[in-house]
Amino acid sequence: MNTTPTIALFPEASFGAALNCVGIAQELRDRGAKPVFICHPGFTGIFAEYGFKEYHLTADDTRDAPSNERQWEEFLNTHLPTFDLSPFDQLVPYVAPTWEAIVDTTIAVEESLGRLLAQIRPDAILLDNVIMFPAILKADCPWVRVVSCAETEIPDPAVPPYLSGLAPGDTAACSDFRKAYRAATQAAHRRYNAFRRKCGLAPLPDEFFLENSDSLNLLLAPSSVRYPREAPLPEDRFVFLEGCVRRESPFEVPHFPTPSGPLIYTSFGSLGATDTGLLGRLIAAFADIPARFIVNVGGYFDSYDQVPDNVFLGDWFPQPSVVAQSDLFIHHGGNNSFCEALYYGVPSLVMSYCWDGHDNAQRTEATGLGARVDRADWTPDSLRETILTLLADTELHARLKAISTDMQRTPGPERAADAIMAMLGREQRNTAQHGARNETV
Amino acid sequence: MPAFKRSSQQTHVDLARQVTNVALERGLKLGDHLPEQAMSDACGVSRTPIRSAFKLLESKDILEWRPEQGYFLALEAPDAISAALSELEEMEDSLSDRILADRSKRRIGEIQSVSALARRYGASRTTVLFALKVLSRDGIVTQLPGRAWAFQPMIDSPQAHSESFEMRLSLEPLALGSPGFALDSKRAGLVRTRTEEFLMLDESRLTAGKFHRLDVDFHSLVAEGSGNRFVRSTLLGHIRLRVASRGGQTVPAFRMLQSLREHIDILDSLERKQYALAADQMRVHLRRSDIRRPDAANRGLSPLAIGSRS
Repeated sequence: MNTTPTIALFPEASFGAALNCVGIAQELRDRGAKPVFICHPGFTGIFAEYGFKEYHLTADDTRDAPSNERQWEEFLNTHLPTFDLSPFDQLVPYVAPTWEAIVDTTIAVEESLGRLLAQIRPDAILLDNVIMFPAILKADCPWVRVVSCAETEIPDPAVPPYLSGLAPGDTAACSDFRKAYRAATQAAHRRYNAFRRKCGLAPLPDEFFLENSDSLNLLLAPSSVRYPREAPLPEDRFVFLEGCVRRESPFEVPHFPTPSGPLIYTSFGSLGATDTGLLGRLIAAFADIPARFIVNVGGYFDSYDQVPDNVFLGDWFPQPSVVAQSDLFIHHGGNNSFCEALYYGVPSLVMSYCWDGHDNAQRTEATGLGARVDRADWTPDSLRETILTLLADTELHARLKAISTDMQRTPGPERAADAIMAMLGREQRNTAQHGARNETV
Repeated sequence: MPAFKRSSQQTHVDLARQVTNVALERGLKLGDHLPEQAMSDACGVSRTPIRSAFKLLESKDILEWRPEQGYFLALEAPDAISAALSELEEMEDSLSDRILADRSKRRIGEIQSVSALARRYGASRTTVLFALKVLSRDGIVTQLPGRAWAFQPMIDSPQAHSESFEMRLSLEPLALGSPGFALDSKRAGLVRTRTEEFLMLDESRLTAGKFHRLDVDFHSLVAEGSGNRFVRSTLLGHIRLRVASRGGQTVPAFRMLQSLREHIDILDSLERKQYALAADQMRVHLRRSDIRRPDAANRGLSPLAIGSRS
């Protein structure tokens, strides 16, 4: 094996995937590899701050694209109201156009990605996304699929459908959701398959936008919440990670004028931060709860006023370091947030918006590791009751402590890095044997 | 020229914080002795103010006084010390600082009356009025017609961050490059020592609080050295606004260390009197420090639409 293998990590443009990959890259670097990042334009500098080299994608033609501000305005006007809908009702107004946008991006960056991969010449590519980019399959190296969404992304008859927020036992509803999902994604899927054919790749079956890797697949699905599968995934190619918590700077708890009480961290991710209406109502409700609240409001700090003395707002927090010190984590069900809560033994209160947040909200409730609250259906009193109940549940805290101890015994990023390095060794041995056979022939 | 008036009590609080930082950075443990002379050397002040700072720390149980022996560390966990220090700072801060801190955390609204502030802080109207006049001198509040006071914008939105950065990118290199720049070599030595001590720390002890204090000390040193009095006063006022506006900002360990090495490089150039080089290094340093988190909504908005702001 190349003694300093270059591994190109290509996370999608979300903090969950990006920071999950940072965790893996930190461990790869410790093992002597050279991790580099391929990143979307908005993420310039994010990986450099963790000490990694970045390569930047560009779209082929953005001359007619609307401005960043206008795109955001349109996005918020169009999608924010849909987050109050059920997962089923989100399929047409939200999930379908989202897949269209994902396919658009894939097509737009293909040439740029091909050029970058030719420049980097990686020994392996780590793709943390929900769609395949043909340039990756055309690169002359093995690739690793990282499923940093919920485990539901890899289907199985015993696992509820992806994005449904359903329980596996709810078979009629699962069946209805699968049919509706297929119909809603059909147009984007057809367009994507046409693009694959144009790139010389075989089309994928209905609903699938990404194949599994023949070399290695990593799933962020801690054993405490994993589904039993009807067709277990082969262990030689599928590695389950007990979360993927990166190393972060320590966090100093800020001073509160109300200095005592349990610490509760609230973050709905960068997408959830745009919902200033919900966060504003939550912050007002927090005023009457005997606890200290740290709230991630993203770039919308100036949307808030009259912040209660027991609430501290910030535009960015080193989340793992904050969760480690928290007594409760209120989040949107993002898989990284869900895994970080489990990793540190902190109960989750999930208010899901969209995508796999619904699946993790359901799983939180089903496994009794927290509570699920409908973002559009709560009152200050009901919220207070839920929070105080979770904080007082000693049996829950004992279970979470045991889960945390188990997860910290085999941290996800270390397991992932070991699996990637082992895969590189295997691939190189196979190549050498193949070469030797050819010479013999 | 001082940026703003500071009470002697406030100076002691600052020094107490500095003493604690030195103790933490040197890895002192529970029960370790803090020699007055060593702290006096490390902080660059005489033993008299060090004694006052020790007494303040004793009042918050951070240090313990033992007759005939001196002061000893009574808390060990950095979090406990940090919490006790914050409490001390909040308790001892002048009313103007408390008002500014609450505004920066959005706990009080943009428009305030003297009577509302007097009620919130349990202070007399005269004390509140004095505090508002202190803030007014720094351009942080303005008196409106009638009895209301209005806060000026803080650095608390992406747009405000951009404008702050743009201003610093123009003025900080100018402070270094314009005629008459004079480095306070004693303070520079202190900043260098504390920075080098931070660079030696284990990654698990690199807290954002320590980093930001070092950052403020360095940029204040640059501002105060400027030969241009307007640049100096503008930058010092802006530093105060930055300190007050900072809410939960953290930086990954790699960037903290890289940033502080850039400070050392700039100090090296200044000590060699290579001011133009120092000004260029400052531009690079500021550009690297301006990485801001994108508004990422990968589900439904093309990531290509999320333009880089840096």
